[in-house]
Amino acid sequence: MNASGVFAGVLAMVGGNDSVNRYLSKDFLSGLMFVGFGAAALYFGQKLAIGTAVRMGPGYVPRMLSLILLGLGILICVLALINGGEEVEKPKWKPITLVTIGIVCFALLLERAGLFPALVVLILISSLAGEEFKLFEVIGNIVVLSILCIVVFKLGLGMNISILEGVW
Amino acid sequence: MDLLHNLALGLSVAVSLQNLMYALLGCMVGTLIGVLPGIGPVATIAMLLPITFHLPPTASLIMLAGIYYGAQYGGSTTSILVNLPGEASSVVTCLDGYQMARNGRAGAALSISAVGSFFAGTVGTILIVLFAEPLTLMAQKFGPADYCSLMALGLIAAIVLASGSVTKAIAMVFLGLLFGLVGTDVNTGAQRYTFDIPELSDGIDFAPIAMGLFGIAEIVVNLERHLTRTGAIKVSSLWPTSDEIRRAIPAVLRGTTLGSILGVLPGGGPTLGAFSAYTLEKKLSKTPQMFGKGAVEGVASPEAANNAAAQTSFIPMLTLGIPSNAVMALMVGAMIIQGIQPGPEVMTKKPDLFWGMIVSMWIGNAMLVIINLPMIGMWVKLLTVPYRFLAPAILLFCCIGAYSLQNSTFHVMQVAVFGVLGYIFVRLGCEGAPFLLGLVLGPQMEEYFRRAMLLSRGDPMVFLERPISLGLLIATAALLVLMALPSVKKAREEAFQEEG
Repeated sequence: MNASGVFAGVLAMVGGNDSVNRYLSKDFLSGLMFVGFGAAALYFGQKLAIGTAVRMGPGYVPRMLSLILLGLGILICVLALINGGEEVEKPKWKPITLVTIGIVCFALLLERAGLFPALVVLILISSLAGEEFKLFEVIGNIVVLSILCIVVFKLGLGMNISILEGVW
Repeated sequence: MDLLHNLALGLSVAVSLQNLMYALLGCMVGTLIGVLPGIGPVATIAMLLPITFHLPPTASLIMLAGIYYGAQYGGSTTSILVNLPGEASSVVTCLDGYQMARNGRAGAALSISAVGSFFAGTVGTILIVLFAEPLTLMAQKFGPADYCSLMALGLIAAIVLASGSVTKAIAMVFLGLLFGLVGTDVNTGAQRYTFDIPELSDGIDFAPIAMGLFGIAEIVVNLERHLTRTGAIKVSSLWPTSDEIRRAIPAVLRGTTLGSILGVLPGGGPTLGAFSAYTLEKKLSKTPQMFGKGAVEGVASPEAANNAAAQTSFIPMLTLGIPSNAVMALMVGAMIIQGIQPGPEVMTKKPDLFWGMIVSMWIGNAMLVIINLPMIGMWVKLLTVPYRFLAPAILLFCCIGAYSLQNSTFHVMQVAVFGVLGYIFVRLGCEGAPFLLGLVLGPQMEEYFRRAMLLSRGDPMVFLERPISLGLLIATAALLVLMALPSVKKAREEAFQEEG
């Protein structure tokens, strides 16, 4: 989302005001995304041996797929510029950013501090992503989910997670 | 092996206490997420995939299947009582179901939809039993080239029947195929796109991708939209009048037939079945003006169709190993997690799993009628839980699930990455399902492609020389040409407009 958003902004500046809509259409931007993935796959796959059609090397199929993807991406871009199309909705940054930060914090905390601290941070951050935030409710949610997680994952499925690192 | 023997074997597996428990659990979870808007079967099954790792293969597949068809039942409840479709496949049920409820016929609408669904589910299960063996025998004659072409057909057909732009969906398939390449090359042992990250040498795990694309992205989109809840309509008597029954029976039969056919097609499934059934009923009806004002047929037929389609969409997955929609792609993933390669061998090598799963689907359908009708009040109460409680809970289960795959936080990070990617896909109007199908079929397709080319000494004509492969490729090409025809293109766009 970051890349496409920034890209959209840059394009809007380059394209000038009257042509903004076409470059910001969903189709054009998704075409760019496919071109980007195709080019990246080509670039990072260039060291893989291609081999021959009889004895294909590890690079044969990746090369083929990335070229097709690149071609499709260009086709989608061109079609979008000709046909126009629906403009991309303005993204709301708060939910996606906070949810992503929440998951990353969970990943960082889980093995270092244990399930409980990771869970508290994840719920707090992701609750902030919504429209309403009532501390009282969030605490209630944390209590209920902590008990549920301990019962289901630790006791029920016998997963090897420490609830509080070094303690339990 | 004859049919009765197989069914007896299936029954003996399905009625074991453990499998009954997991069928019930799956149906309960399915009904729950069907009732709750903002979380669908794809996200739920993705979330639970890692947990199934701890279960025996049969039990885990029985549970996941239960979630899928349970969601079809649950989705109709909220459509009828609060005009909120819990599931995409119940969107049409809102049109007449909610109107029936407002006319004081809520109970009748609920029981017609539950009993109609049960009938359709039973027919769907019988169809799986009938078609499983012949299709499996046919698939065993397939060579590598034939398989490769079959997968191509499956992927293209899935795109044509799914909504949205065809070119973008094809590009999504190729993107999925590319992501499927990450990891160690099976034939040479070379590392592909692993960037020296040891966790990637086994390939990108399927579950974190599905959780990110369908779970996280869905949550974020819902948080942006902030769902509002309205009060539910009270349910009085569950008994329909004799007039309602008389009108519902033929509609259920038609819906079941249509749904069963559409479910087998790649890209088909419950949603397509329900929409087509509603359109058909409206065309056939002598009083089309009644539709949208509480027509019994408008509830009975789509509800039967979506459940029939949910059942029959298992046929290509179980017999050929080709998933026809995103949920089936996840079922393939679940089988791979358990070390079972989906395809024609499943029936011959694991008959207990195969037939046990089929029989349990029928048992599950019976359970669902019981879960849904008398306990309707409980499910409706759940609707009052605000989304701000649900979103963190779903996120948490995704994270723990991803971690438990291999006790590694690397997978949790993957969920975050694919969540962001999934959000970009949603914003750019790119469908996640074709991506997922490409990802699941990618590694196998490459295997078959390379093997076919090796056998033919590098001659790509092998795909055209083998009659089965040629036929499949002609069908694929015909589909693509059809899509390009202006009249078909227009009709297709109109059909999806109605849907959206």
